[in-house]
Amino acid sequence: MVMDIVIPGLDDSANREAGKRLAGRHLDVRGVWKAYSANQYVVRDVTFTLKPGELLTLLGPSGSGKTTSLMMVAGFELPDRGEIRVDGKNVAWQPPQRRNFGVVFQGYALFPHMSVLENVAFPLRMRRFSSSERRRKSLDMLEKVGLAEFRDRRPADLSGGQQQRVALARALVFEPDALLLDEPLGALDRNLREALQLEIKELQRRIGISILFVTHDQDEAMMMSDSIAVMNEGRIAQIGSPRDVYLHPRSPFVAGFLGETNLLRCTDCEFDGSSARLRFHNGTVGHAQAPQEGYRRQSPHALVSVRPERIRFLTTEETIENVIDGIIVDCTFLGNRSRYVVHALGQKLIVSSTDPTLSQHACTGDSVRLGWARDDAQVLSETDN
Amino acid sequence: MQWSAKRIARSPLWLLFPIGVIYGTLAVMPLALIVRFSFAGGLKQYRAVLASPLLARIAENTVVVSIITTVVAVLLGYLLAAALWRSGPRLRVLLFMLVLLPFWTGVLVKNFAWAALLQDNGVFNELWLVISPTHKALPLLHNRLAVIIGMVHYVLPYAVFPIYTVMLSIDQRLERAAKSLGASDFSVVSRVIVPLTLPGVYAAGLLVFIISTGFFITPVILGGPADMMIANLVDFYAHQLVDFNRAAALAVLIVVVVSVLVFIYQWCPKEGQYGKA
Repeated sequence: MVMDIVIPGLDDSANREAGKRLAGRHLDVRGVWKAYSANQYVVRDVTFTLKPGELLTLLGPSGSGKTTSLMMVAGFELPDRGEIRVDGKNVAWQPPQRRNFGVVFQGYALFPHMSVLENVAFPLRMRRFSSSERRRKSLDMLEKVGLAEFRDRRPADLSGGQQQRVALARALVFEPDALLLDEPLGALDRNLREALQLEIKELQRRIGISILFVTHDQDEAMMMSDSIAVMNEGRIAQIGSPRDVYLHPRSPFVAGFLGETNLLRCTDCEFDGSSARLRFHNGTVGHAQAPQEGYRRQSPHALVSVRPERIRFLTTEETIENVIDGIIVDCTFLGNRSRYVVHALGQKLIVSSTDPTLSQHACTGDSVRLGWARDDAQVLSETDN
Repeated sequence: MQWSAKRIARSPLWLLFPIGVIYGTLAVMPLALIVRFSFAGGLKQYRAVLASPLLARIAENTVVVSIITTVVAVLLGYLLAAALWRSGPRLRVLLFMLVLLPFWTGVLVKNFAWAALLQDNGVFNELWLVISPTHKALPLLHNRLAVIIGMVHYVLPYAVFPIYTVMLSIDQRLERAAKSLGASDFSVVSRVIVPLTLPGVYAAGLLVFIISTGFFITPVILGGPADMMIANLVDFYAHQLVDFNRAAALAVLIVVVVSVLVFIYQWCPKEGQYGKA
């Protein structure tokens, strides 16, 4: 689907001018390890590929190694082992000046003593462009981010959103191999964050640059990414499209980090093609998606992840692949949805429903039938940690 | 609002009373006396001071010596501040001690130490005589060079701290940002670090210059007869000529000129005019 995206604050000619696109290069991170003190690895065997024009997010809690990984790509940290390849050429040992990445830092790190134009022209000055070319390219880029009339201001005189656009313009003006964004929205309030997320995404689509993005916020990651690499304790726990990691998590960590989930224990699990037949520990038979081929693990015990919004309340006649009985122990009205805690299968299940009639009638103590489709349940390939 | 006796008795302003007494008797009163002396016979004293050929020569010497001292001290201070800024915690403690030790040492001790080092049979000349073909001692003491060495030694900490404070306020990410944008180490320093530390350099320069203009004992110990500075001229009027009125007039002139500099210094941003971004 082709969409016509118009950046707020940009006039038509600038939007049309944006036809010229940067593609970015193929960034390959292969088996990278990093320790700050002996055997205390903060990054363990991290491998990912950033394809031209793609937005890949490293998502994880603090201390998961995501920022260290980004800093190794940028060149501020050296890996202990592994390779960082740009179009096949290993740059892991080059200083940051010799690499060609546009880095946007948390807080933006604009030069406070330079005007907006001087900030954007800085990387061109470092690359010894002539002064007329510096001016032309910088103004061009400021035009693209809609800040041309602010060229003579100091960064301190701009709003947070405008500062971000200057930082992006400065990181893009020298046509980098990729943009590296280190939690650029970390310190902002929710509304501004969402506006700027959209702005980055739109800019990326128009300019076509590949972006490596670091965040700890799963909503931000879901909203912006083409691919998400979920990191935990220095490792990439899972990598895939937002849809893939959300709907088909491999481990309890991934399932839990990307929003709420129900983890159901089963005693028996047989794989048949892409589906799995399992037995919950009260004897009820259930159906779920099997893990991908290479990640299957033969084990008498398995965990199944079912998202709260995928569980439905069934009427007595309705039937579906998974049906269980339970008792509502708590319900909370949250405006756009209601959240129920249901006691079933010997544990507590969270159910999220947007059905308005249900929220009027269902109440604590009611016996209910719950059901979910086979495709909405995912057998996890790992059960520990 | 009524000022009852009780209210006045409870006023927190009473806490200022001791400092008021000390400051009043030790600073304000003598200053007032000096101003009164200076106006003995109307403006006669001022005319006499300003007409004296000594004043022009000594004022010029004071300004020249102070400017050289300021430039040298700020350059050395900048390097020292940068070293403090960039050193690890242990080296930083050592460097701080090297800055603070002379700061806590009396000026007389420092000056006599330099006199001992620089005199004809001092450490430097003893070494020089060994390697020199002429076997003649270098004139290191009782000249302008010696005065400047002694003054730089004294004012160096005053140059270090304003610059160091500004350096601490620089966002470390700016350096990384510059490098990621292609800046060499030299460009990082010349285009980012130095421009951002200039407010500290100006503040340090002004402070050091103000202090330098007031030197009295260093020119006496390390300088020769031609190295008199303005404070020595006040002393000359008061002790050699025993003309307190004229000494007072000169002192008032100095206070006025230095006050202007102090006002400029107060206006000068000291903690990084750009803040923390």
